[in-house]
Amino acid sequence: MKVISASPSPSARGRRDSQAKREPVRAKPQQMAGAPGECIGLHRFALFTAVCTAFLIFVGGLVTSTESGLSVPDWPTTYGWNMFTFPLSKWVGGIFYEHTHRIVASFVGFLTVILTVWTWLEEKRAWLRWLSAAALTAVILQGVLGGITVLFLLPAPISTLHACLAQTFFCLVIAIAVFTSPQWKSGLPLVRSRAESVSLPALCAATTAAVYVQLILGALMRHTAAGLAIPDFPLALGHIIPPFTSNKVMIHFAHRVGAVVVTTLIVWTFIRVARSYSDYSLLFRPALTMMVLVGIQLALGALTVWSAKSIIPTTAHVLTGALLLSTSFLLALRAYAMLTVKLANCRGAL
Amino acid sequence: MHKRSLPLCASLLMVALVAGCGGGSNETNVPPPGGPGAPGGTTFDMSKANATITGKISFEGTPPPNDKIQMSADPYCAQHAAQNPTTETVKVSDGGLENVIVFVSSGLSAGATYATPTTPVEINQENCHYTPHVFTMMTNQPLKVKNSDMTLHNIHAWAEKNPQFNVGQPVKDMVSETKFKNPEVPLPVRCDVHKWMGAFIGVFDHPFHTVSKSGGSFELKVPPGNYEVTAWHEKFGKKTMMVQVGDNDKKELNFSFNTNDKGTAD
Repeated sequence: MKVISASPSPSARGRRDSQAKREPVRAKPQQMAGAPGECIGLHRFALFTAVCTAFLIFVGGLVTSTESGLSVPDWPTTYGWNMFTFPLSKWVGGIFYEHTHRIVASFVGFLTVILTVWTWLEEKRAWLRWLSAAALTAVILQGVLGGITVLFLLPAPISTLHACLAQTFFCLVIAIAVFTSPQWKSGLPLVRSRAESVSLPALCAATTAAVYVQLILGALMRHTAAGLAIPDFPLALGHIIPPFTSNKVMIHFAHRVGAVVVTTLIVWTFIRVARSYSDYSLLFRPALTMMVLVGIQLALGALTVWSAKSIIPTTAHVLTGALLLSTSFLLALRAYAMLTVKLANCRGAL
Repeated sequence: MHKRSLPLCASLLMVALVAGCGGGSNETNVPPPGGPGAPGGTTFDMSKANATITGKISFEGTPPPNDKIQMSADPYCAQHAAQNPTTETVKVSDGGLENVIVFVSSGLSAGATYATPTTPVEINQENCHYTPHVFTMMTNQPLKVKNSDMTLHNIHAWAEKNPQFNVGQPVKDMVSETKFKNPEVPLPVRCDVHKWMGAFIGVFDHPFHTVSKSGGSFELKVPPGNYEVTAWHEKFGKKTMMVQVGDNDKKELNFSFNTNDKGTAD
């Protein structure tokens, strides 16, 4: 690995030391869009929206895991009632999961409206205002997709799109939370990147993209009922590569191959960060979190198969996937901000 | 203005997309081929169905236990259910298997048409179970779906050869009516609110079908001819036998299932 830092050292430890000695470059406060703390309320609100979105993804996962998606056959009404006046005593069986999902989704939609209005009122960065508008558009579209999937009896393409848009919306909210954080606005430390075949920002972007593709495959698997198309693990129908007897087997196996690719990329990212940027907690913490999450995710994936899609491990698998995507996305944003000189220079102007 | 029109445009776009993708690949609603009973021909005279096929659906070995039902998710169901409720998948009495759809699957005159009964078939949602659990009917015969419970049900037809539907019945004594255009065996029906609630319908374009009763017995009235008769069970799949009957003839046809038989999506 070719290193272009000030004092290259042959050992990894030496590299870390030399890295640590470098004075982090901070962007000048006047370059920033607003003084630190100016919009701390907005940042906290964005964080709260992100937490609620993660909960919404879990609740949405429960709907699919419990096969309750059609237990409320109408939309936007609930058995003819206005969604918000539907009697609590009638939240029974599958209705409990589906109606809870609708209520939590409405709440997140409401939060997103506030987040967007607040951003437009307080934010000076035009692109961030438009990002909040994109989040609002996404949440509205997500609601419409949810309705369509009910009215058309869970067509796999729409249900899959609904699941994927949920992850995209989650990332948008995470991005707003990151960009409104005082840390980001006051300037993340700039780190001189090493000359490597694949730069850390590019590696993080690739990892995030791989996780996203893996989530699409996972959603496709869930919504085409392919979750147990390969009922054994770690082997697949008794083989390392199973006989592709149906599309479901192919989709399921693609998800397993995706897991290998994602795990490889996450491990690679973690090693890169641990070796070269371990002194920067803004990079090291999310990289470490990704490692922990991918371990949990692999275990949950195995449990999902072994338990024949038991509700809790299956839904936890969905949630952990979303957390993995958001962590990877967070790391990618920070890596770009800290290691890409061009972006760092532009940050104030953005 | 733009913000308000966006969801509408998005929904229209998606509806168009879904409608476009939905295609009618499963639609088999084609006109019957020409023949003696085809449009322009005559409707089959049921008095000619004077031959009788009787028989028993036997079950060999120990029947597997039905799954226990956990009804605590709906207090009404828990309160009104029998002690230790189970599913109704396997019902064996006197060595005979109940709830088996028995029907003529081949041998009828091509293109023959049969009068559709105007009397509706009824399925009732009672004490959080479907009654009957398995039944047969003819295409275009009215099906009445009733909710006798003080709790909400949705009736969801998982049809493949007919349009699927999913209707909510939130109020006691609510009745919905529907019809199926195309023959389909089995046509599963379920309630997504109460996972254990499931029923199976056999929809035929002829009247030569029945469901095995207590003790596994069944009886079919058919016109003289050489027929393939099929017996279908939700867990043990289907079996076929050939039978030839003459005018006013009586033939016995016995099917046998065991635990090794496995159901297939027909």
